[in-house]
Amino acid sequence: MRWAPTVLAVALLAVATSFAHAQERTTVGGYGEAQYTNATGPNTPGQADLRRFVIYLAHSFNDQLAFRSELEVEDAKVEPDSKAGEVEVEQAFLDYRLRDWLTIRTGLILVPVGFLNETHEPTTFNGVQRPAFDSDVIPTTWRELGAGLLGQIPGGAGLSYRIYLLNGIKAEGFSAEQGIREGRQEGQNASFANPSITGRLEWARPGLKVGGSFWYGGSANGEPGLGTGAFSAPVALLSADARYDRGGASLRAEFANISITDAAAINTAFGTGVGSRIAGGYAEAAYNLLALLAPSSSQKLTTFVRYEQYDTQASVPSGTVQDGTLARRITTIGLTYKPIDNAVFKGDYQFLRNRSGTGEGEILSLGIGYEF
Amino acid sequence: MPGALRRSISLAVVLALSHRAGFSQAPPPAKLAASITRIFGAAVRVDSLRVDTSTVLRMSRADSLLGFASVGNVIGKDQPITFLVAIDRDDRLKDVDILVYREPYGGEVAYEPWRKQFRGKTAADSLRVGKEIRTISGATISVRSVTLGVKALVADLTRWHQSGAIK
Repeated sequence: MRWAPTVLAVALLAVATSFAHAQERTTVGGYGEAQYTNATGPNTPGQADLRRFVIYLAHSFNDQLAFRSELEVEDAKVEPDSKAGEVEVEQAFLDYRLRDWLTIRTGLILVPVGFLNETHEPTTFNGVQRPAFDSDVIPTTWRELGAGLLGQIPGGAGLSYRIYLLNGIKAEGFSAEQGIREGRQEGQNASFANPSITGRLEWARPGLKVGGSFWYGGSANGEPGLGTGAFSAPVALLSADARYDRGGASLRAEFANISITDAAAINTAFGTGVGSRIAGGYAEAAYNLLALLAPSSSQKLTTFVRYEQYDTQASVPSGTVQDGTLARRITTIGLTYKPIDNAVFKGDYQFLRNRSGTGEGEILSLGIGYEF
Repeated sequence: MPGALRRSISLAVVLALSHRAGFSQAPPPAKLAASITRIFGAAVRVDSLRVDTSTVLRMSRADSLLGFASVGNVIGKDQPITFLVAIDRDDRLKDVDILVYREPYGGEVAYEPWRKQFRGKTAADSLRVGKEIRTISGATISVRSVTLGVKALVADLTRWHQSGAIK
Protein backbone atom coordinates (compact mmCIF):
# COMPACT_ATOMS: atom_id res chain seq x y z
CA MET A 1 0.00 0.00 0.00
CA ARG A 2 3.00 2.26 0.12
CA TRP A 3 2.55 3.32 -3.48
CA ALA A 4 -1.11 4.19 -2.97
CA PRO A 5 -0.57 7.87 -2.16
CA THR A 6 1.45 8.33 -5.34
CA VAL A 7 -1.31 6.75 -7.39
CA LEU A 8 -3.76 9.01 -5.62
CA ALA A 9 -1.72 12.10 -6.37
CA VAL A 10 -1.37 11.24 -10.05
CA ALA A 11 -5.06 10.47 -10.30
CA LEU A 12 -5.92 13.75 -8.64
CA LEU A 13 -3.73 15.67 -11.07
CA ALA A 14 -5.52 13.95 -13.95
CA VAL A 15 -8.88 14.98 -12.51
CA ALA A 16 -7.73 18.50 -11.76
CA THR A 17 -6.59 19.03 -15.34
CA SER A 18 -9.59 17.36 -16.96
CA PHE A 19 -12.05 19.56 -15.10
CA ALA A 20 -10.21 22.81 -15.61
CA HIS A 21 -11.94 25.48 -17.62
CA ALA A 22 -11.64 29.16 -18.41
CA GLN A 23 -10.35 31.27 -15.56
CA GLU A 24 -12.38 34.41 -16.10
CA ARG A 25 -16.09 34.57 -16.54
CA THR A 26 -18.57 37.41 -17.04
CA THR A 27 -22.27 36.83 -16.57
CA VAL A 28 -25.32 38.96 -17.23
CA GLY A 29 -28.68 38.34 -15.62
CA GLY A 30 -31.63 40.26 -14.38
CA TYR A 31 -34.92 40.43 -12.61
CA GLY A 32 -37.94 42.66 -12.69
CA GLU A 33 -41.52 43.14 -11.67
CA ALA A 34 -44.56 44.94 -13.08
CA GLN A 35 -47.58 45.68 -10.91
CA TYR A 36 -51.20 46.76 -11.14
CA THR A 37 -52.79 48.07 -7.93
CA ASN A 38 -56.31 49.24 -7.26
CA ALA A 39 -57.23 50.61 -3.86
CA THR A 40 -60.84 50.80 -2.68
CA GLY A 41 -62.42 54.26 -2.48
CA PRO A 42 -64.25 56.77 -4.65
CA ASN A 43 -61.30 58.47 -6.32
CA THR A 44 -58.69 55.77 -6.58
CA PRO A 45 -58.35 54.54 -10.16
CA GLY A 46 -56.18 51.50 -10.79
CA GLN A 47 -52.52 52.14 -11.42
CA ALA A 48 -49.89 50.13 -13.25
CA ASP A 49 -46.15 50.45 -12.76
CA LEU A 50 -43.00 48.83 -14.04
CA ARG A 51 -41.81 48.73 -10.47
CA ARG A 52 -38.32 47.37 -10.98
CA PHE A 53 -36.12 46.54 -13.95
CA VAL A 54 -32.75 45.24 -12.84
CA ILE A 55 -29.67 44.21 -14.77
CA TYR A 56 -27.32 41.90 -12.97
CA LEU A 57 -23.67 41.95 -14.00
CA ALA A 58 -21.01 39.77 -12.43
CA HIS A 59 -17.44 38.95 -13.22
CA SER A 60 -15.20 36.32 -11.70
CA PHE A 61 -11.52 37.12 -12.11
CA ASN A 62 -10.55 33.75 -10.66
CA ASP A 63 -11.80 31.34 -7.99
CA GLN A 64 -10.96 33.84 -5.25
CA LEU A 65 -11.87 37.26 -6.62
CA ALA A 66 -15.28 38.19 -7.98
CA PHE A 67 -17.27 41.33 -8.71
CA ARG A 68 -21.08 41.45 -8.42
CA SER A 69 -23.49 44.23 -9.23
CA GLU A 70 -27.12 45.16 -9.78
CA LEU A 71 -28.20 48.21 -11.77
CA GLU A 72 -31.81 49.13 -11.25
CA VAL A 73 -34.39 51.36 -12.92
CA GLU A 74 -37.42 51.98 -10.73
CA ASP A 75 -40.79 53.05 -12.15
CA ALA A 76 -39.68 52.75 -15.79
CA LYS A 77 -38.14 56.18 -16.34
CA VAL A 78 -36.40 59.10 -14.71
CA GLU A 79 -37.37 62.67 -15.46
CA PRO A 80 -36.42 65.97 -13.89
CA ASP A 81 -39.13 67.43 -11.64
CA SER A 82 -40.66 63.99 -11.06
CA LYS A 83 -40.47 62.34 -7.65
CA ALA A 84 -41.07 58.90 -9.13
CA GLY A 85 -38.39 57.04 -10.99
CA GLU A 86 -34.83 56.30 -9.97
CA VAL A 87 -31.75 54.81 -11.52
CA GLU A 88 -29.60 53.28 -8.87
CA VAL A 89 -26.76 50.87 -8.31
CA GLU A 90 -28.26 48.47 -5.83
CA GLN A 91 -25.14 46.43 -5.14
CA ALA A 92 -21.56 46.64 -6.39
CA PHE A 93 -18.93 44.79 -4.43
CA LEU A 94 -15.77 42.75 -4.64
CA ASP A 95 -15.59 39.40 -2.89
CA TYR A 96 -12.17 38.03 -2.03
CA ARG A 97 -12.70 34.43 -1.04
CA LEU A 98 -9.87 33.09 1.10
CA ARG A 99 -11.48 30.07 2.75
CA ASP A 100 -14.99 28.62 3.05
CA TRP A 101 -15.11 30.38 6.41
CA LEU A 102 -13.58 33.65 5.27
CA THR A 103 -14.54 35.96 2.42
CA ILE A 104 -13.66 39.65 2.45
CA ARG A 105 -16.44 41.77 0.93
CA THR A 106 -15.96 45.44 0.00
CA GLY A 107 -18.13 47.97 -1.79
CA LEU A 108 -21.82 48.80 -1.90
CA ILE A 109 -23.26 45.95 0.16
CA LEU A 110 -26.78 44.81 1.08
CA VAL A 111 -27.30 45.22 4.82
CA PRO A 112 -27.75 41.67 6.21
CA VAL A 113 -30.89 42.42 8.23
CA GLY A 114 -33.86 40.06 7.86
CA PHE A 115 -33.93 37.71 4.87
CA LEU A 116 -35.78 39.76 2.30
CA ASN A 117 -33.21 42.55 2.06
CA GLU A 118 -30.57 40.22 0.66
CA THR A 119 -32.90 37.91 -1.25
CA HIS A 120 -35.43 40.24 -2.84
CA GLU A 121 -36.12 38.88 -6.31
CA PRO A 122 -39.89 38.74 -7.03
CA THR A 123 -39.74 34.97 -7.57
CA THR A 124 -38.64 34.48 -3.96
CA PHE A 125 -41.65 35.97 -2.11
CA ASN A 126 -45.43 35.71 -2.23
CA GLY A 127 -47.55 38.78 -2.89
CA VAL A 128 -47.24 41.45 -5.56
CA GLN A 129 -45.59 43.93 -3.20
CA ARG A 130 -42.91 43.05 -0.72
CA PRO A 131 -44.34 42.87 2.81
CA ALA A 132 -44.99 46.43 4.03
CA PHE A 133 -42.87 45.53 7.08
CA ASP A 134 -39.93 45.19 4.66
CA SER A 135 -40.42 48.81 3.65
CA ASP A 136 -41.51 50.67 6.80
CA VAL A 137 -39.52 48.77 9.45
CA ILE A 138 -36.64 47.08 7.62
CA PRO A 139 -36.03 49.60 4.82
CA THR A 140 -35.42 47.25 1.88
CA THR A 141 -33.56 47.38 -0.39
CA TRP A 142 -31.06 48.68 2.15
CA ARG A 143 -27.48 48.96 0.94
CA GLU A 144 -24.55 51.01 2.19
CA LEU A 145 -20.82 51.33 1.56
CA GLY A 146 -18.18 49.54 3.57
CA ALA A 147 -16.35 46.29 4.12
CA GLY A 148 -16.70 43.11 6.09
CA LEU A 149 -16.22 39.40 6.48
CA LEU A 150 -18.49 36.45 5.82
CA GLY A 151 -18.35 32.69 5.59
CA GLN A 152 -19.44 29.36 6.97
CA ILE A 153 -18.56 28.62 10.54
CA PRO A 154 -16.26 25.57 10.47
CA GLY A 155 -17.49 22.36 12.01
CA GLY A 156 -20.40 21.70 9.67
CA ALA A 157 -23.08 22.76 12.12
CA GLY A 158 -24.85 24.64 9.34
CA LEU A 159 -24.00 28.06 10.72
CA SER A 160 -22.88 30.99 8.61
CA TYR A 161 -22.05 34.57 9.49
CA ARG A 162 -21.61 38.00 7.98
CA ILE A 163 -20.21 41.06 9.74
CA TYR A 164 -19.71 44.43 8.09
CA LEU A 165 -18.55 47.94 8.93
CA LEU A 166 -20.68 50.32 6.84
CA ASN A 167 -21.49 54.01 6.71
CA GLY A 168 -24.22 55.07 9.14
CA ILE A 169 -27.59 56.64 8.46
CA LYS A 170 -28.85 60.22 8.80
CA ALA A 171 -31.48 61.14 11.40
CA GLU A 172 -32.46 64.02 9.14
CA GLY A 173 -34.34 61.57 6.92
CA PHE A 174 -36.24 59.72 9.67
CA SER A 175 -40.02 59.99 9.75
CA ALA A 176 -42.96 58.95 11.89
CA GLU A 177 -44.49 56.90 9.06
CA GLN A 178 -41.44 55.11 7.67
CA GLY A 179 -39.00 55.13 10.55
CA ILE A 180 -35.37 55.08 9.46
CA ARG A 181 -36.13 54.46 5.76
CA GLU A 182 -35.15 57.83 4.30
CA GLY A 183 -32.11 58.00 6.56
CA ARG A 184 -30.34 55.54 4.28
CA GLN A 185 -27.48 56.91 2.22
CA GLU A 186 -27.46 54.28 -0.54
CA GLY A 187 -23.92 54.77 -1.71
CA GLN A 188 -24.14 58.42 -2.81
CA ASN A 189 -21.41 60.59 -1.24
CA ALA A 190 -22.18 58.72 1.96
CA SER A 191 -21.09 60.44 5.14
CA PHE A 192 -18.88 58.41 7.43
CA ALA A 193 -19.42 60.90 10.27
CA ASN A 194 -21.23 58.01 11.94
CA PRO A 195 -20.24 54.45 11.08
CA SER A 196 -22.37 51.38 11.64
CA ILE A 197 -21.70 47.78 12.52
CA THR A 198 -24.06 45.12 11.25
CA GLY A 199 -24.06 41.36 11.21
CA ARG A 200 -26.08 38.24 10.76
CA LEU A 201 -25.95 34.63 11.91
CA GLU A 202 -27.86 31.95 9.98
CA TRP A 203 -28.54 28.33 10.74
CA ALA A 204 -29.62 26.07 7.89
CA ARG A 205 -31.11 22.61 7.69
CA PRO A 206 -32.91 21.00 4.74
CA GLY A 207 -36.24 22.83 4.66
CA LEU A 208 -35.36 25.21 7.49
CA LYS A 209 -33.43 28.41 7.83
CA VAL A 210 -33.31 30.57 10.93
CA GLY A 211 -31.54 33.93 11.08
CA GLY A 212 -30.75 36.68 13.54
CA SER A 213 -29.37 40.10 12.65
CA PHE A 214 -28.24 43.32 14.29
CA TRP A 215 -27.43 46.81 13.12
CA TYR A 216 -25.93 49.49 15.35
CA GLY A 217 -24.82 52.93 14.27
CA GLY A 218 -24.93 56.63 14.84
CA SER A 219 -27.24 58.95 12.95
CA ALA A 220 -26.32 62.47 14.15
CA ASN A 221 -24.25 63.37 11.08
CA GLY A 222 -22.89 66.51 12.73
CA GLU A 223 -26.30 67.99 13.51
CA PRO A 224 -25.91 70.47 16.42
CA GLY A 225 -27.84 69.13 19.36
CA LEU A 226 -27.38 65.47 18.43
CA GLY A 227 -23.74 65.19 19.42
CA THR A 228 -20.53 64.78 17.50
CA GLY A 229 -19.43 61.31 18.55
CA ALA A 230 -19.13 58.40 16.12
CA PHE A 231 -22.18 56.78 17.65
CA SER A 232 -24.16 59.91 18.53
CA ALA A 233 -27.94 59.60 18.11
CA PRO A 234 -27.57 55.82 18.13
CA VAL A 235 -29.95 53.48 16.36
CA ALA A 236 -30.02 49.81 17.40
CA LEU A 237 -31.85 47.24 15.34
CA LEU A 238 -32.36 43.59 16.24
CA SER A 239 -34.20 41.13 14.03
CA ALA A 240 -35.08 37.46 13.88
CA ASP A 241 -36.49 35.42 11.03
CA ALA A 242 -37.32 31.87 9.99
CA ARG A 243 -38.33 30.04 6.83
CA TYR A 244 -39.63 26.48 6.77
CA ASP A 245 -40.70 24.30 3.86
CA ARG A 246 -42.16 20.82 3.93
CA GLY A 247 -43.96 19.16 1.04
CA GLY A 248 -46.25 21.79 -0.44
CA ALA A 249 -46.35 23.87 2.73
CA SER A 250 -44.17 26.78 3.68
CA LEU A 251 -44.03 29.14 6.61
CA ARG A 252 -41.99 32.29 7.04
CA ALA A 253 -41.74 35.09 9.56
CA GLU A 254 -39.65 38.18 10.22
CA PHE A 255 -39.57 40.35 13.34
CA ALA A 256 -37.60 43.46 14.21
CA ASN A 257 -37.15 45.98 16.99
CA ILE A 258 -35.48 49.35 16.41
CA SER A 259 -34.50 51.63 19.30
CA ILE A 260 -33.84 55.31 18.66
CA THR A 261 -32.62 56.55 22.02
CA ASP A 262 -32.41 60.21 21.09
CA ALA A 263 -35.77 60.42 19.28
CA ALA A 264 -36.73 63.47 21.37
CA ALA A 265 -33.65 65.42 20.25
CA ILE A 266 -34.12 64.24 16.64
CA ASN A 267 -37.74 65.46 16.65
CA THR A 268 -36.66 68.80 18.12
CA ALA A 269 -33.91 69.20 15.54
CA PHE A 270 -35.96 68.30 12.47
CA GLY A 271 -39.57 68.89 13.51
CA THR A 272 -40.44 65.23 12.96
CA GLY A 273 -42.42 62.71 15.01
CA VAL A 274 -39.97 59.83 15.00
CA GLY A 275 -40.77 57.00 17.40
CA SER A 276 -38.22 56.06 20.04
CA ARG A 277 -39.07 52.45 19.33
CA ILE A 278 -40.19 50.85 16.04
CA ALA A 279 -41.35 47.27 16.32
CA GLY A 280 -43.30 44.55 14.63
CA GLY A 281 -43.21 41.70 12.20
CA TYR A 282 -45.20 39.30 10.11
CA ALA A 283 -45.97 35.64 9.69
CA GLU A 284 -46.99 33.95 6.47
CA ALA A 285 -48.34 30.50 5.68
CA ALA A 286 -48.49 29.19 2.12
CA TYR A 287 -49.48 25.98 0.40
CA ASN A 288 -48.75 24.80 -3.13
CA LEU A 289 -52.15 23.50 -4.29
CA LEU A 290 -50.52 21.49 -7.09
CA ALA A 291 -48.72 19.38 -4.49
CA LEU A 292 -52.21 18.06 -3.76
CA LEU A 293 -53.96 18.37 -7.14
CA ALA A 294 -51.14 17.41 -9.51
CA PRO A 295 -48.27 15.89 -7.51
CA SER A 296 -46.21 15.06 -10.61
CA SER A 297 -46.26 18.67 -11.85
CA SER A 298 -43.21 20.88 -11.46
CA GLN A 299 -45.41 23.98 -11.68
CA LYS A 300 -46.57 25.73 -8.52
CA LEU A 301 -49.87 27.36 -7.69
CA THR A 302 -49.46 28.66 -4.18
CA THR A 303 -52.13 30.18 -2.01
CA PHE A 304 -50.97 32.21 0.94
CA VAL A 305 -52.06 34.35 3.83
CA ARG A 306 -49.80 36.87 5.54
CA TYR A 307 -50.48 38.87 8.67
CA GLU A 308 -48.33 41.90 9.43
CA GLN A 309 -48.43 43.97 12.56
CA TYR A 310 -46.02 46.81 13.19
CA ASP A 311 -45.88 50.28 14.63
CA THR A 312 -43.32 52.91 13.63
CA GLN A 313 -44.26 54.71 16.85
CA ALA A 314 -44.37 51.72 19.20
CA SER A 315 -42.97 54.17 21.76
CA VAL A 316 -42.64 57.92 21.43
CA PRO A 317 -40.45 60.34 23.39
CA SER A 318 -42.14 62.88 25.63
CA GLY A 319 -43.33 65.81 23.56
CA THR A 320 -44.27 63.64 20.57
CA VAL A 321 -47.92 62.73 20.05
CA GLN A 322 -48.53 59.10 19.18
CA ASP A 323 -50.42 58.63 15.90
CA GLY A 324 -52.71 55.57 16.07
CA THR A 325 -52.79 55.15 12.29
CA LEU A 326 -49.10 54.15 12.41
CA ALA A 327 -49.92 51.02 14.45
CA ARG A 328 -50.67 49.02 11.33
CA ARG A 329 -52.23 45.59 10.79
CA ILE A 330 -52.16 44.28 7.24
CA THR A 331 -53.69 40.99 6.14
CA THR A 332 -52.81 39.79 2.66
CA ILE A 333 -54.37 36.79 0.91
CA GLY A 334 -53.30 35.77 -2.55
CA LEU A 335 -52.19 33.36 -5.21
CA THR A 336 -48.75 32.85 -6.72
CA TYR A 337 -48.48 30.93 -9.99
CA LYS A 338 -45.07 29.72 -11.12
CA PRO A 339 -45.05 27.80 -14.43
CA ILE A 340 -41.29 27.56 -13.91
CA ASP A 341 -39.17 28.52 -10.93
CA ASN A 342 -37.94 31.78 -12.46
CA ALA A 343 -41.19 33.33 -13.71
CA VAL A 344 -44.15 34.28 -11.58
CA PHE A 345 -47.71 35.60 -11.91
CA LYS A 346 -49.19 37.03 -8.73
CA GLY A 347 -52.48 38.31 -7.42
CA ASP A 348 -53.47 39.38 -3.92
CA TYR A 349 -55.95 41.30 -1.86
CA GLN A 350 -54.89 43.36 1.16
CA PHE A 351 -56.84 44.59 4.15
CA LEU A 352 -55.17 47.65 5.69
CA ARG A 353 -56.16 48.33 9.29
CA ASN A 354 -54.75 50.45 12.09
CA ARG A 355 -55.33 51.15 15.75
CA SER A 356 -57.19 54.42 15.31
CA GLY A 357 -59.46 52.99 12.58
CA THR A 358 -59.08 55.94 10.24
CA GLY A 359 -57.76 55.86 6.69
CA GLU A 360 -58.25 52.11 6.44
CA GLY A 361 -58.71 50.51 3.06
CA GLU A 362 -58.30 47.53 0.82
CA ILE A 363 -56.03 47.01 -2.18
CA LEU A 364 -56.25 44.60 -5.09
CA SER A 365 -52.89 43.90 -6.74
CA LEU A 366 -51.81 41.93 -9.79
CA GLY A 367 -48.24 41.45 -10.88
CA ILE A 368 -45.63 39.57 -12.84
CA GLY A 369 -42.01 38.90 -12.01
CA TYR A 370 -39.00 37.14 -13.48
CA GLU A 371 -35.41 36.32 -12.68
CA PHE A 372 -32.65 34.82 -14.81
CA MET B 1 5.14 7.36 8.79
CA PRO B 2 7.02 7.11 5.46
CA GLY B 3 3.66 6.59 3.76
CA ALA B 4 2.19 9.68 5.31
CA LEU B 5 5.30 11.65 4.46
CA ARG B 6 5.29 10.44 0.87
CA ARG B 7 1.62 11.31 0.61
CA SER B 8 2.08 14.88 1.74
CA ILE B 9 5.03 15.31 -0.62
CA SER B 10 3.02 13.93 -3.53
CA LEU B 11 0.13 16.22 -2.76
CA ALA B 12 2.46 19.19 -2.49
CA VAL B 13 3.86 18.39 -5.92
CA VAL B 14 0.37 18.11 -7.38
CA LEU B 15 -0.62 21.38 -5.77
CA ALA B 16 2.43 23.14 -7.15
CA LEU B 17 1.89 21.70 -10.63
CA SER B 18 -1.78 22.53 -10.82
CA HIS B 19 -1.16 26.00 -9.47
CA ARG B 20 1.56 26.70 -12.02
CA ALA B 21 -0.66 25.46 -14.82
CA GLY B 22 -3.28 27.98 -13.68
CA PHE B 23 -6.22 25.59 -13.29
CA SER B 24 -8.01 28.04 -11.08
CA GLN B 25 -11.49 26.58 -11.55
CA ALA B 26 -10.45 22.94 -11.24
CA PRO B 27 -11.00 21.10 -7.98
CA PRO B 28 -8.08 21.83 -5.65
CA PRO B 29 -6.25 18.48 -5.33
CA ALA B 30 -6.02 18.81 -1.54
CA LYS B 31 -9.78 19.19 -1.30
CA LEU B 32 -10.33 16.28 -3.66
CA ALA B 33 -7.97 14.09 -1.63
CA ALA B 34 -9.69 15.06 1.62
CA SER B 35 -13.08 14.29 0.11
CA ILE B 36 -12.04 10.85 -1.11
CA THR B 37 -10.42 10.03 2.21
CA ARG B 38 -13.55 11.14 4.05
CA ILE B 39 -15.87 9.06 1.88
CA PHE B 40 -13.77 5.92 1.27
CA GLY B 41 -11.45 6.00 4.27
CA ALA B 42 -7.67 6.22 4.47
CA ALA B 43 -5.20 3.94 2.68
CA VAL B 44 -7.41 3.61 -0.36
CA ARG B 45 -5.95 2.94 -3.78
CA VAL B 46 -7.11 5.45 -6.36
CA ASP B 47 -6.81 4.78 -10.09
CA SER B 48 -7.74 7.28 -12.74
CA LEU B 49 -9.82 5.97 -15.66
CA ARG B 50 -10.89 7.72 -18.84
CA VAL B 51 -14.41 7.19 -20.20
CA ASP B 52 -15.41 9.20 -23.26
CA THR B 53 -14.17 12.66 -22.29
CA SER B 54 -14.61 12.15 -18.56
CA THR B 55 -12.27 11.12 -15.80
CA VAL B 56 -13.49 8.57 -13.28
CA LEU B 57 -11.65 7.68 -10.09
CA ARG B 58 -11.71 4.00 -9.14
CA MET B 59 -11.32 3.28 -5.44
CA SER B 60 -10.11 -0.07 -4.14
CA ARG B 61 -8.46 -1.58 -1.11
CA ALA B 62 -6.53 -4.86 -1.17
CA ASP B 63 -7.79 -5.67 -4.68
CA SER B 64 -11.37 -5.24 -3.57
CA LEU B 65 -13.43 -2.63 -5.42
CA LEU B 66 -14.93 0.05 -3.14
CA GLY B 67 -16.60 2.27 -5.73
CA PHE B 68 -16.18 5.09 -8.18
CA ALA B 69 -16.21 8.86 -8.06
CA SER B 70 -16.25 11.69 -10.55
CA VAL B 71 -16.22 15.47 -10.48
CA GLY B 72 -18.75 17.70 -12.20
CA ASN B 73 -19.55 21.38 -12.61
CA VAL B 74 -22.98 22.98 -12.69
CA ILE B 75 -23.83 26.66 -12.95
CA GLY B 76 -25.45 28.16 -9.86
CA LYS B 77 -26.82 31.68 -10.25
CA ASP B 78 -23.90 32.49 -12.52
CA GLN B 79 -20.82 30.67 -11.30
CA PRO B 80 -19.75 27.03 -11.66
CA ILE B 81 -20.18 24.87 -8.58
CA THR B 82 -17.62 22.06 -8.56
CA PHE B 83 -18.92 18.90 -6.90
CA LEU B 84 -17.97 15.26 -6.45
CA VAL B 85 -20.26 12.25 -6.64
CA ALA B 86 -19.20 8.86 -5.25
CA ILE B 87 -20.99 5.54 -5.75
CA ASP B 88 -20.28 2.19 -4.13
CA ARG B 89 -19.68 -1.06 -6.01
CA ASP B 90 -23.45 -1.70 -6.13
CA ASP B 91 -24.05 1.71 -7.81
CA ARG B 92 -25.63 3.25 -4.73
CA LEU B 93 -24.78 6.87 -4.04
CA LYS B 94 -22.18 6.91 -1.27
CA ASP B 95 -21.93 10.66 -0.89
CA VAL B 96 -21.86 14.05 -2.57
CA ASP B 97 -19.27 16.72 -1.81
CA ILE B 98 -19.05 20.37 -2.78
CA LEU B 99 -15.40 20.92 -3.76
CA VAL B 100 -15.55 24.58 -4.81
CA TYR B 101 -18.40 27.03 -4.26
CA ARG B 102 -18.05 30.44 -5.88
CA GLU B 103 -21.41 32.23 -5.47
CA PRO B 104 -21.88 35.06 -2.94
CA TYR B 105 -24.95 33.38 -1.40
CA GLY B 106 -26.24 29.78 -1.32
CA GLY B 107 -23.22 27.91 0.06
CA GLU B 108 -25.52 25.88 2.31
CA VAL B 109 -25.47 23.09 -0.33
CA ALA B 110 -22.10 22.15 1.20
CA TYR B 111 -23.69 21.41 4.58
CA GLU B 112 -23.75 17.74 5.53
CA PRO B 113 -27.45 17.65 6.57
CA TRP B 114 -28.38 18.66 3.03
CA ARG B 115 -25.86 16.42 1.23
CA LYS B 116 -26.76 13.33 3.19
CA GLN B 117 -30.22 13.28 1.62
CA PHE B 118 -28.54 11.73 -1.45
CA ARG B 119 -26.93 8.80 0.35
CA GLY B 120 -28.19 5.37 -0.70
CA LYS B 121 -29.99 6.70 -3.79
CA THR B 122 -29.48 5.07 -7.20
CA ALA B 123 -29.74 6.24 -10.80
CA ALA B 124 -33.25 4.72 -10.87
CA ASP B 125 -34.47 6.83 -7.95
CA SER B 126 -36.37 10.03 -8.38
CA LEU B 127 -34.43 13.08 -7.13
CA ARG B 128 -36.77 16.06 -7.28
CA VAL B 129 -36.23 19.28 -5.38
CA GLY B 130 -39.05 19.90 -2.93
CA LYS B 131 -39.97 16.19 -2.93
CA GLU B 132 -37.19 13.64 -2.36
CA ILE B 133 -34.60 16.40 -1.88
CA ARG B 134 -35.66 19.18 0.46
CA THR B 135 -34.59 22.68 -0.41
CA ILE B 136 -32.89 25.37 1.67
CA SER B 137 -34.36 28.88 1.64
CA GLY B 138 -31.95 31.39 0.20
CA ALA B 139 -30.03 28.63 -1.57
CA THR B 140 -32.72 27.34 -3.92
CA ILE B 141 -30.83 28.04 -7.16
CA SER B 142 -27.77 26.14 -5.94
CA VAL B 143 -29.99 23.35 -4.56
CA ARG B 144 -31.68 22.90 -7.96
CA SER B 145 -28.42 23.03 -9.93
CA VAL B 146 -26.50 20.63 -7.72
CA THR B 147 -29.43 18.17 -7.56
CA LEU B 148 -29.64 18.07 -11.37
CA GLY B 149 -25.86 17.73 -11.61
CA VAL B 150 -25.74 14.87 -9.11
CA LYS B 151 -28.56 13.05 -10.89
CA ALA B 152 -26.76 13.29 -14.24
CA LEU B 153 -23.40 12.19 -12.83
CA VAL B 154 -24.87 9.20 -10.95
CA ALA B 155 -26.60 8.16 -14.17
CA ASP B 156 -23.29 8.37 -16.07
CA LEU B 157 -21.29 6.45 -13.48
CA THR B 158 -23.96 3.75 -13.24
CA ARG B 159 -24.22 3.39 -17.02
CA TRP B 160 -20.43 3.15 -17.40
CA HIS B 161 -20.16 0.63 -14.59
CA GLN B 162 -23.00 -1.56 -15.82
CA SER B 163 -21.72 -1.49 -19.42
CA GLY B 164 -18.22 -2.46 -18.30
CA ALA B 165 -16.63 0.81 -19.43
CA ILE B 166 -15.35 1.07 -15.87
CA LYS B 167 -14.84 -1.98 -13.70
